[in-house]
Amino acid sequence: MNLPINRTTPEHIGPTDPKQDTGNAPNPEAQNPQARSAPGGFQGLYLHLPFCFHKCHYCDFYSVVPAKEPARTNGNAENAPDIQDAFTAALCAELRRWVVSLQDQGEPLAPATVFAGGGTPTFLKPSCWKTLLHDLHGHRVLQHVDEFTVEANPETVTPALMDMLVDGGVNRVSIGAQSFDRGSLKALERWHDPDNVPRAVELCRNAGLDNVSLDLIFAIPGQTLDMLNRDLERLLELQPEHLSIYGLTYEPQTALTARLRVGQVQRVDEDTERAMYDHVMTRLDAAGYEQYELSNWARRDPTRDLRCRHNLGYWQNHNWLGLGPAAASHRDGQRWRNAPNLPRYVSGSPNPPRVDEETLPPPLRFGEQLMLGLRTSAGVERAWIDAALEPGDARNAYLEEVIALGLLEKTESHLRLTRQGRFVADTILARLL
Amino acid sequence: MPAADNIRNFCIIAHIDHGKSTLADRMLMGTGAMDERTKKEQKLDSMDLERERGITIKAAAVSVEHTYNGKLYELNFIDTPGHVDFHYEVSRALAACEGAILVVDATQGVEAQTVANLYKAVDADLELIPVINKIDLPSAEPDKRAMQVEEVLGLDAADCVMTSAKTGVGVPELLDAICERFPPPKGEPDAPLQALIFDAKYDDYRGVIVYFRVVNGHFKKGDRILMMGAKRTYQVTELGKFKPDMHPTPEPFEAGDVGYMVAAIKSLEDVNVGDTITLDTARCDKPLPGYQEPQPMVYCDFYPSGDTQFDELRDAIARLHVNDASFTYEPSNSEALGSGFRCGFLGMLHMDIIQERLEREGDVSIVQTAPTVTYEVVITGKGGVKQTIQITNPSELPDMGQVREIREPIVAAEIITPTTSIGDIMKLCENRRGIYKSQKFLADDRQILEYDLPLAEIIYDFFDKLKSITSGYGTMDYHVTGFKADNLVKMDVLVNGSPVEALSLIVHRTKAEFRGRHLLKRLKEQIDRHLFEIPLQAAIGGKIIARETIKSVGKNVTAKCYGGDVTRKRKLLEKQKKGKERMKRVGTVDIPQEAFMSVLDTGE
Repeated sequence: MNLPINRTTPEHIGPTDPKQDTGNAPNPEAQNPQARSAPGGFQGLYLHLPFCFHKCHYCDFYSVVPAKEPARTNGNAENAPDIQDAFTAALCAELRRWVVSLQDQGEPLAPATVFAGGGTPTFLKPSCWKTLLHDLHGHRVLQHVDEFTVEANPETVTPALMDMLVDGGVNRVSIGAQSFDRGSLKALERWHDPDNVPRAVELCRNAGLDNVSLDLIFAIPGQTLDMLNRDLERLLELQPEHLSIYGLTYEPQTALTARLRVGQVQRVDEDTERAMYDHVMTRLDAAGYEQYELSNWARRDPTRDLRCRHNLGYWQNHNWLGLGPAAASHRDGQRWRNAPNLPRYVSGSPNPPRVDEETLPPPLRFGEQLMLGLRTSAGVERAWIDAALEPGDARNAYLEEVIALGLLEKTESHLRLTRQGRFVADTILARLL
Repeated sequence: MPAADNIRNFCIIAHIDHGKSTLADRMLMGTGAMDERTKKEQKLDSMDLERERGITIKAAAVSVEHTYNGKLYELNFIDTPGHVDFHYEVSRALAACEGAILVVDATQGVEAQTVANLYKAVDADLELIPVINKIDLPSAEPDKRAMQVEEVLGLDAADCVMTSAKTGVGVPELLDAICERFPPPKGEPDAPLQALIFDAKYDDYRGVIVYFRVVNGHFKKGDRILMMGAKRTYQVTELGKFKPDMHPTPEPFEAGDVGYMVAAIKSLEDVNVGDTITLDTARCDKPLPGYQEPQPMVYCDFYPSGDTQFDELRDAIARLHVNDASFTYEPSNSEALGSGFRCGFLGMLHMDIIQERLEREGDVSIVQTAPTVTYEVVITGKGGVKQTIQITNPSELPDMGQVREIREPIVAAEIITPTTSIGDIMKLCENRRGIYKSQKFLADDRQILEYDLPLAEIIYDFFDKLKSITSGYGTMDYHVTGFKADNLVKMDVLVNGSPVEALSLIVHRTKAEFRGRHLLKRLKEQIDRHLFEIPLQAAIGGKIIARETIKSVGKNVTAKCYGGDVTRKRKLLEKQKKGKERMKRVGTVDIPQEAFMSVLDTGE
């Protein structure tokens, strides 16, 4: 399977100049939360592939651990239809429905980016992937795609799967390393062998991928600054094009949060967490990475923009379509989400039930766009803020107050967080919504 | 109406929770004024809050009929508030009676308010019938309690009527005893009218309903009356009795009668409990004795918070005041908190009730400052003349150079406590600058302690402490006896370098450092970390006596925010924002409501 796909860089995403101030976006249009495609057009396509072989204790993404079916253990695994096949059929049906209905509206589904997340997308059976990729191509969905990311778990990356993905148009892989320390991985209930991370990266390289991202988590219970430093160095040795580094979040309704509540785990104290984030920023900058979002870094490369354009679309409030259970979508201020329930997703095919549908009134959209836009290093356009806030709005005074504290700063055209401001973004935002 | 000889005016007095209101209900049922079908528990307490808190806030009066020895009697009974904050109202209710039923719980026996109320009834020259109530309870010891009534209160144990308000046992006997033992009202029917106002309520449709007792003379519907204290005249549009619902009566009301009056009175502010009603055309020489303007002893500020605007708060307070004039209010201005109202209350419970009613009935959200007491300040005025002023707020204290002395209100407190707790209670009183007066043994391992205490030392948590030391068995009653000078100073609190008036307090000099340190520690716990470091200081006259620092936020940033997270993360931030809106912004610091109350925490 070697299907054609446009892999050239479209003109509207310009190359990054590493000498340029990181805050001055190389492409103002891409940084402006107001810049959106024509109404209705989805610039991003998200696919939620919910299967995991194990539920990690910190993870609050919707995932399903398939039951070990007898059919899978007696050697007939690939032939017997199972829940993964049923899911794939439903996903393809949902895709087809959207393709047809958007076609009817005169706005064919032709995103610039695709992102397959989960769950563990690489845990989906190769036969299912084959079906899915076939349909994406068959509906000409990938014609204008220049970034197609698949999330991967270090354990589930195989040469065969990688070859198939790359042949199918995937040009970016994001590997969840999380940590290289066995103790830290255990604290997260991650059961991969840290040595599998370099192996997974190598498999990606061998498959011809020149855009690999690695995820790391810090402020893991029991972690020290030294331990984080070791994790960072191991990560950098692998020379990824992109890094996502997250402070551990205790999401409600996760096993980790439950353990925190009953005192089985101890949160890293706030000062240490701050020092960790500080260290991450310093070290990655020195290693040649540009922090383009609060938790995301792209290697400075004069020839390529290595930022994740799909994710930038979220922060710039573009329109995107999410398919699969629990997948969220956004179209011109309207948000919705498929119900996070695999059986209902399958039985409701091709019109799975929706939840959390909302269309925000303008005042709330302001806060939302601010919340998203300030995450990026470019920040948000000042002209847009000035237009949205009445002169008497108390938030104007608050903005000045925060600027005076050195936590926000004005560039010629934008308002953005300073390095100091990145530590406390939520405290700042809580007053600006 | 029955002749005065067949009228019995009486009240029921008791310690809180000894079953007074339930007994009143049972008596209504015993006389047929209320039956099981119409029975709404505690008929006489009509406000929701009263029912929720199980206490009687406003007195109520009901007329019922009872036949005894072949003669028809009219029994007017007046339900009185049971809480210490409402002493004055109790005393006016007593003044309208000839007899009092003193209810004692058969399981708990004599308590502080039993004693205090008994003294008041004796002062008012009332005939007494002791009632041992709740005799149906398994732990009831009626005979023992009757002996205690004799030993402690000096009433004959044999005179006790045993009742269970719950089952109705003993209630017919009690009704008979009322007819037999209480004297009929005295009074001159032909003298000029003197009627005592012992309560008033506000009705949305009819205006103020005045509860009165005719002491001398008579009057009827259509008469023009004068309220002597308030100096206001009204045309009487309706006179009647509560049976227990309002029941207009065409005949004149004569000396001894108890009833209600409607006279197109628009606001409770215009009516004073204790005032005397006389005929405008044939005035009596002088009002009945004992009238007092309500004297608020505890003050605090209410400021609008959250979405509530000043105007909304003002309207809500004015509306509430029309039907509850027991509190006072006037506009106040605080540099830190903006525009609000300084309100005066009879006590802490009264304050809580008013705040709750405002929030509930007025639909406003309020930041309440820590309550303070009234102080008398002796200053050197113009030309070196000595002058005494009253302040209700530490911020009103003049420059200390002018101040000669500060006097604070002192209360006489009677505390009844199990003997085992006596040491701890005495320690508590001494910690609160109490002066020991006396100690008496009650029956069965309990003692009555008398202390003089500064009111400021007991308005906040004294009662809670008393309850916790005595495992709930200790009880207390107090009344203000006067003002006394002491070594008092004003302590200011500076948040981020600026003094916050609402946090300043007047303290005894010897306790200032301790209170200051404790207050700052509490503030540090209650004020969230901000984007900047916040110094907290306590100062006396510019001299810093304690300091703390609230560190700035270290890290608060959402790590992951992708497509599927947007809605939820926004809602989380909105929640944080809502939390901040409930706080009061002082300069650039958000201070939560609880922080203003931490001023009161003594740190013991």
